[in-house]
Amino acid sequence: MTQDEQGRPPESLTGTLIVDAIEGGKARVELADGHTEDWPLASLPRGVREGDVVRLHVEGGDLELEIDHAATRLRRGQAQAQLDALNRPAPAGDFDL
Amino acid sequence: MRQLLTLVGLSLGLASAQNPGVLTIRFLDVGQGDAILITSPEGKSVLYDGGRSEPRLQALLRQYGVQSLDLVAASHADADHITGLVPAVTLYRPKFFLNNGLAATTQVWSKLVAAAQKAGTQGLLAKDQTINLGSVKLTVLAPPPGMPRNEQNLNSVGLLVQYGPFRALMTGDSEIPETRAWLKKYPANLLGPIDVYKSIHHGAKNGDHSAWLAAVRPKNVVIGVGPNNYGHPTSEALSLYRKVGATVYRTDQQGTVTVVVQPGGRFAITTEKGGPIPANRPAVGTATPPAPVRPATIPATPAGVGTPYRSCAEARAAGAAPLRRGQPGYSPALDRDDDGVACE
Repeated sequence: MTQDEQGRPPESLTGTLIVDAIEGGKARVELADGHTEDWPLASLPRGVREGDVVRLHVEGGDLELEIDHAATRLRRGQAQAQLDALNRPAPAGDFDL
Repeated sequence: MRQLLTLVGLSLGLASAQNPGVLTIRFLDVGQGDAILITSPEGKSVLYDGGRSEPRLQALLRQYGVQSLDLVAASHADADHITGLVPAVTLYRPKFFLNNGLAATTQVWSKLVAAAQKAGTQGLLAKDQTINLGSVKLTVLAPPPGMPRNEQNLNSVGLLVQYGPFRALMTGDSEIPETRAWLKKYPANLLGPIDVYKSIHHGAKNGDHSAWLAAVRPKNVVIGVGPNNYGHPTSEALSLYRKVGATVYRTDQQGTVTVVVQPGGRFAITTEKGGPIPANRPAVGTATPPAPVRPATIPATPAGVGTPYRSCAEARAAGAAPLRRGQPGYSPALDRDDDGVACE
């Protein structure tokens, strides 16, 4: 059974996911195995934004989700530093390929 | 007779991306997402976005005989635009990776940047500059200042492709504030008229709007779209394209859409399956849509009987599961592990 078919995440799911994009009432989330799924935005924590890391855990049979702000900041900082380094010696002005 | 021979020659040449003497732009059928392959008359190639599937993009690059990539571009960092760039960078080691300068937190983004580092690909932060792809001029439309940095769509990188009088425009998943800012920033004669235009954001509600399209004046619109949960393309976007008199092509209905531009600007649009949507008027000007051409290597879903199932539950209820790639009703959206078998 998948979340898409039933409109709610499977209860066996734990770990983290990352919000790739939000559009209307849907959020595209990247699961721990790298695959993406479209989840109802309402199934994610209130105030969730693109790029947020969301932690999932099962408690008393219920699946609970919370935004992991520290993990989000860490991932964002590392990814931005990596990209900035990649972009650093780029050519200026017009150029030929 | 001469015209017929020209068409036959053109059709035979469409199997390869390296078609000397012409500009070829392929709006690749990558399901729900965008991937556009641009090859100059000199054989230099650019991949603007890569769709959401690594194996799918890799198969398409092989199918079209791509020998090299000089530049890959991510319009923005969403997974349905960058996933296929990972194998593109790994396999072809392009010289440059054009990007909007805003890193994503996803695993696939990290994988792409790591692949670029390993391949020796130079990052290229989008700014207003021109990149000459042989005789083809690529004008980068950088995200305008003031766009919120936490919104990838609003920081999409645009690309204007010019070859003689021919002009194509693609602007990722831009939303209205970005296109409004571009309208203020660029002169009207830079933005339009456009011969071939990539629909913004797969035909979403928050992309194209009448003021923007009044400037762009697209003659032909290609929508990169597949089965999706977002309602793409929306009736609002389709209505806008109809109102500006554009002919609409959709990769979900017609497969890969190929534009071949001759020196002097004459161009032809062919599709993998079927013609443009009949509700739209035929293109005016120089476009000449010849008979559909179906590339030979990847089997396509038979036209007319291939409406994808919306869910595996629906496929199972119809007794059709599992579905293999190429079978009627198969959809990459249902093939979560991309192994060619859906609803296993």
